[in-house]
Amino acid sequence: MPPAPGAASVPRLSDPERWVEEHGDYLFKFAFVRLRDPARAEDMVQETFLAALKGGQSFAGRSAEKSWLTGILKHKILDYYRKASRETSFTDLEFYQDEESDRFIPEGLFKGGWIHETGRDLGPMEWSTDPGASLDSAAFWKAFHDCSNKLPRNIATVFTMREVDGVESKEICQTLNISESNLWVMLHRARMALRRCLETNWFGNDA
Amino acid sequence: MNFLTALIRRLFDGIRALSPNCREAIRLQSDALDRELPMLKQVGLRIHLVLCRWCRRYGGQIRFLRRAARSHSDADAQAVPSLTQEARQRLVEAVRKNAT
Repeated sequence: MPPAPGAASVPRLSDPERWVEEHGDYLFKFAFVRLRDPARAEDMVQETFLAALKGGQSFAGRSAEKSWLTGILKHKILDYYRKASRETSFTDLEFYQDEESDRFIPEGLFKGGWIHETGRDLGPMEWSTDPGASLDSAAFWKAFHDCSNKLPRNIATVFTMREVDGVESKEICQTLNISESNLWVMLHRARMALRRCLETNWFGNDA
Repeated sequence: MNFLTALIRRLFDGIRALSPNCREAIRLQSDALDRELPMLKQVGLRIHLVLCRWCRRYGGQIRFLRRAARSHSDADAQAVPSLTQEARQRLVEAVRKNAT
């Protein structure tokens, strides 16, 4: 049923202007992490609010306002990815192409093993006994975001979809129009780069 | 002596055929986070991980990356930029204009 002209009288749980005050920041951060572009993130948040205004009717009585708005934003971001994937390919097989070759034995019986000679231990280091404790540290998150920001945009997008939002491989491939085997290569390299960066910039400090 | 070297090499080739090297093992551990590995690959990876603490570490660390990425803490939110005052104003105006 189309909304009646008098729909303004429908009870609203909150004054839309108050949305900006209460949820603006949260939504902006949500979009920023996924788009890494402040202007685009702001656009998405604005579109979300406008869509929410239009859908105001179905909103009354829904669960928490915040998760409702976040749901709209999520769809907007996915739509944006879909559109972007039609214009340029999301596949990036250039990034970290050498896959840390310098850390592996180049040939011989132990080819492909981590290099570990005296004074030259290139395998993964031991991280602190409880890396989980890092999750409460603001400095850790700064390092984490700094490291993520070093990933090329498309690599960061697949990593965020898979690891932050937990989207299944198949769905990512459909949305971004890439093949599964390319997705797995991209994810592998993203993890590799991020792991190395964190080891250097965070976990290396207390070793 | 030659015979011994040959034997050792044969043995290595045998293990090698089933078990991946480190480069392959870290790729498999990444893949395992995104799909189910074929049975033989799983077995080979297991064998490798028993023998190789570097790759065990690597696996633990990329699983930690996932755990970190999926955790939502206040400390995390603080590290992401907030709306600027101007952006906030623009949003309020857009909402106001469309609310009427």
